[in-house]
Amino acid sequence: METTVKGWLDESRKKLQAGNFTEADLQRLEVLLTKPRQMVLYLYSKSTSMRSAIASWALYDPTVSYKPTLPSQDAPYDSVIEAVNDGWRIVQFPRAELYQFSDVDNAYLGYEFILEKSTLDL
Amino acid sequence: MIDIQPTMDDSQVMDFVSRGSVVLEGVVSDEFSRQCETLPGGRIAEFACTPGFREEVLLHPEVAGVARSLLGRNFFIPITAHHHLYEEAHPGQTWHSDGLSEYGYGVNHLQCYYYPQDVTLEDGPTMVLPGSHHRLVDREAIAHYGDILGQASLTVPAGTVVLTHYGIWHKAGPKLNAKRRGMIKFSYFRNSSPKRDWLIESEEIPPYANRERHPYVTEVESYRDLARRQRTWNWLCGVDTTPDVSHGAKLFINARPLSEIVKK
Repeated sequence: METTVKGWLDESRKKLQAGNFTEADLQRLEVLLTKPRQMVLYLYSKSTSMRSAIASWALYDPTVSYKPTLPSQDAPYDSVIEAVNDGWRIVQFPRAELYQFSDVDNAYLGYEFILEKSTLDL
Repeated sequence: MIDIQPTMDDSQVMDFVSRGSVVLEGVVSDEFSRQCETLPGGRIAEFACTPGFREEVLLHPEVAGVARSLLGRNFFIPITAHHHLYEEAHPGQTWHSDGLSEYGYGVNHLQCYYYPQDVTLEDGPTMVLPGSHHRLVDREAIAHYGDILGQASLTVPAGTVVLTHYGIWHKAGPKLNAKRRGMIKFSYFRNSSPKRDWLIESEEIPPYANRERHPYVTEVESYRDLARRQRTWNWLCGVDTTPDVSHGAKLFINARPLSEIVKK
């Protein structure tokens, strides 16, 4: 944290001199001084490919209070690779050998990618 | 004996095989639905056996007609029900199936939802995932799922009854207000061997005509769905010898055969 705050100070001094230091910079400092939290995003891809379309999704953000929100049919990303491009890191890939193959029997939603991001990444 | 006539034809039964539910909008009279306005939450076995509930809901020609179509003659009529009542805002339930999902090719158990009042999206409607009744899952192991493409929020007018395959994934949706939202849940059960004795135009059994692919379904799962739909169709028509393994229904039969039910 010390390193990141020092970086913020260096950057802020330059902004002050340039006259473009804003409230957003203070909000950024607040985030840096808060203990980082892990956010987890489940994305259910339509295949093991990171470029496949998304069938289902769930975001678990411990910094946001648990309150009613209306259901959505708009996925946060079109694919896993798009989420990675937005800074999400994959912590679990779907492993093909875990998917039982039979001719008729479906079970859970597949293929489950689990991604994470730190609140510091916001 | 009370005579209940089937109301579904081949095409409607095929739709049910694909979706796992039938929605009958506003079929129960407003007068009876208003009587449910003060009903307490929880188990309501006594109310489920009242002549009013039996006639207006359980034996309603359209509601019981669907049960008769999908479960055959002399099906079991429930003698209990559960009132799922929400009067405060809440984030909603997690996705689950009930009991042991009752995995199998057969249709032995219809779990029904009756809504005595209008339900809007903000009122915390029941959500179902069409086609999910074909999936065998541990009910606790799908609790982390969030939004799913193709999920359906049952926003319905008062007096609506939804009949579902017992294994369908469902949940109470997020509720944004403190308006009373009740849903009376009850179940019909099969009591006779399956045969194609719903509304038919000819004795010749048509092959299953496949329905749309549900939006969340992958390529390979769409083929599995087709195979399962064909087996369920053949099973319902009484022509498939595939053993049915839906043992779960036997856990919860709180019902009496139609032949033992007296209307008043």
